[in-house]
Amino acid sequence: MLPAGSRGGAMDSRERQYFDAMPCYLTVQDRDLHIIAANRRFRDDFGEPEGRHCYQVYKHRSERCEICPVARTFRDGEPHESEERVRTRAGAEVAVLVRTTPIRDESGATSAVMEMSTDITRHTDLEERLRRSQRRYRLLFDTVPCYITIQDRDLNVVEANRAFQEDFGNGLGRRCYEVYKHRTEACTPCPVQETFDDGEPHTREEVVTSLRGTRQHVLVTAAPLRDGDGHVTGVMEMSADITQVRALESRLTQLGMLIGTVSHGLKGLLNGLRGGMYLVDTGFTKGDTDRVQKGWETVRRNVARIQSMVSDILYYAKDRVPNWEPVSAAAVANDVCALAAPRAAELGIRLTTDLDPAAGEFEADVQAVQSMLVNLVENALDACRLDARKPDHEVIVRLRGNADRVQFEVADNGIGMDRETREKAFTLFFSSKGTGTGLGLFIADRIAQAHQGRITLSSEPDAGTSVGVELLRRRPAGPADGEGRHPHPEDPSHA
Amino acid sequence: MPDAAKTVLVVDDDPDARAFLTAVLADHGFATAEAKDGVEALSAIARSAPDLVALDISMPEKSGVAVYRKLREDEGLKHIPVIIITGMSDDFRSFISTRRHIPPPEEYISKPVDHEQFVGAVKKLLG
Repeated sequence: MLPAGSRGGAMDSRERQYFDAMPCYLTVQDRDLHIIAANRRFRDDFGEPEGRHCYQVYKHRSERCEICPVARTFRDGEPHESEERVRTRAGAEVAVLVRTTPIRDESGATSAVMEMSTDITRHTDLEERLRRSQRRYRLLFDTVPCYITIQDRDLNVVEANRAFQEDFGNGLGRRCYEVYKHRTEACTPCPVQETFDDGEPHTREEVVTSLRGTRQHVLVTAAPLRDGDGHVTGVMEMSADITQVRALESRLTQLGMLIGTVSHGLKGLLNGLRGGMYLVDTGFTKGDTDRVQKGWETVRRNVARIQSMVSDILYYAKDRVPNWEPVSAAAVANDVCALAAPRAAELGIRLTTDLDPAAGEFEADVQAVQSMLVNLVENALDACRLDARKPDHEVIVRLRGNADRVQFEVADNGIGMDRETREKAFTLFFSSKGTGTGLGLFIADRIAQAHQGRITLSSEPDAGTSVGVELLRRRPAGPADGEGRHPHPEDPSHA
Repeated sequence: MPDAAKTVLVVDDDPDARAFLTAVLADHGFATAEAKDGVEALSAIARSAPDLVALDISMPEKSGVAVYRKLREDEGLKHIPVIIITGMSDDFRSFISTRRHIPPPEEYISKPVDHEQFVGAVKKLLG
C-alpha cells in the first residue's frame, strides 16, 4: 500500500501499474484534501492534480463540500460512501459512487485516505428514467376515471387508485367484497378469483355501494399480474361506473313498456267510445232517449279518461318543473271533488269532504296537484266499484293544515290492498285495476316529490284505503325549483 | 228469434265494455249475463253454464287466462265456446300456442270491438 505522506513515489512499478489500471477514478488525499496521488483514468479526465484540492478538481469549487466522505474517514478511521456528481475538465457531468478507505501509518493512525469513485452515470440515468416512468404510471393509475385495485389471492386490496380511495375510503388491507359491497363473504362468482384460477381476464357487471351510500352499477374487469416466471402474483381489477348507461337503458325499457301499456289502455278506452257510439246510434234508431243518454255519457267518460291518460303520459315523458303559485288548499280540494262528482254519482258512491277551514293557502303547481288528487279520487272510486262485499261505499277527501304543511287525504272503504299490492302501488306500470295504465300513483308520487312533499299509503284488504299527501306550505328554496330535481325512482343509484 | 234461448256470459272489468257487448247481444236476440272479474265469472258459470263466454284477458282478481284454463280443463264445461276479447290478443295467442294441452279458443276479437264482427262470431259459434 501507499506509505503515508507519499506522492506515490513509494509504489513500485507493478503497484503503479495496478493503480493506474483500476477502471475507476482513484486518488489518495491528505488531511487537507490535497490529492497526493491519482491513477491514469483520473488524470485523463481531470488532468494532473498537482497538489490541488479534491473539491477543486472534481467539483470546480473553492471550498470543501459540506459532507465529505474523505474527511469523515480521517475523523473516524472508517470507510465511507456517498453519491456525487463531478465534472471532468472537458465539462462532462459524471455521476459517481464514492468509496473511501483509510491508509494507516505504522502507529495505526490514518495518514491518508484512498478515494475510489466509480462512474455510475448510466446507472443513475436509468434510475431517473425508471423513477419518471413510475411517476407517470402512478399518475395514470390515479387519474384514470375508473376504480382500480390490485388484489392478492385472499382478495385483499393491496393497492388502490385515487378514485377508489375517494369513493370507498382507504381499503388497503381489507377484502374487496367488504369495501365494495359491505358483505362478509366473497361474491360468487368473483372475476378476480376466476382470474387467479385460470390466469385469464374476466368481466362481470356488479352493483357496489360507496362510502356515501350511493349505489353504482360497475363493469368489472379482472386482469392477471404475472412475475418474471409467468406466475400470477396478483390481479388488477378495474371497475368502470356504468350507472348512467343502466339508468338510460332502464328508461328506454320503461318507454317501451309505456308504449305497450298505453296502446293497451287506449284500446280499452276506444272500446268504451265505440260502445258509447253504438248506444247513441242504436238509441236514435230505436227512438230510445235513455239509451242515447247512456251512450253519450259513456262517450264523455271515455274522452275524459283519454284526456287524463294523455296528461299522465306527458307528465312522465317530460320532467316538469313545478309552476309555483299560491292557492287556497280548500279550493283545490273542492275543485277535485267537483271533477270527480259525476263519476261518483254514476257509480252510486258517496263522495264527501272534510276540510279544515283554517287550512289556508299554500304554494304549488296547482294543475299538477289537482291532477294528482283527481287521480287519487279516481283510484278510490275504482276501489269501491270493484268491491262487491259492502252495500254502501264512500270516498272522503280530507284537508288539514299546520304552520309548515298542508295535508290532503283521500280515504275509501273499497276493496283495499294486500301487502303485495301496497308495496307495488307506486311502481311504474303496476295496476291492480285491470283497466289501469299503471301510471297514476307513479306520477302522483313524482308530483309529490317535485314539490318536496310525500305520499303515504295505508290499506287493508276489504277494509279500504287511505292515501295521504303532505305538501310544504311554502315553496322550498332552491332544489325542487328546476335544476336539482329528485332522482327518478327508477334510477338504479336511487335504491 | 231463433237464438233467444242462448245465453252469452260477458266477462270484462270495464263496465263500459260490458254495457257495450250486452247491448249488442240483446239487440240481436241473445240473453246475457255479466261478470266483472274471473272470480265472478267462475261462480256465474257454476250457477248456470252459459252457451258462450266472451272473455276479457287482463282483469283483477282471477285473470281471464285462469278462467279460460278452468273452462278447458273441466269436462263438463270444455264444450262451451269462448271468444277472447282483449287489447292484448297477441300475447294471449302466443301464450296459448306454447301450451299444447290447452286447446285454443274458438275465436279472438281485439279491442276496440267491431260489433258486427262480434255478432257474426257469436252467431257462427251458436248457429
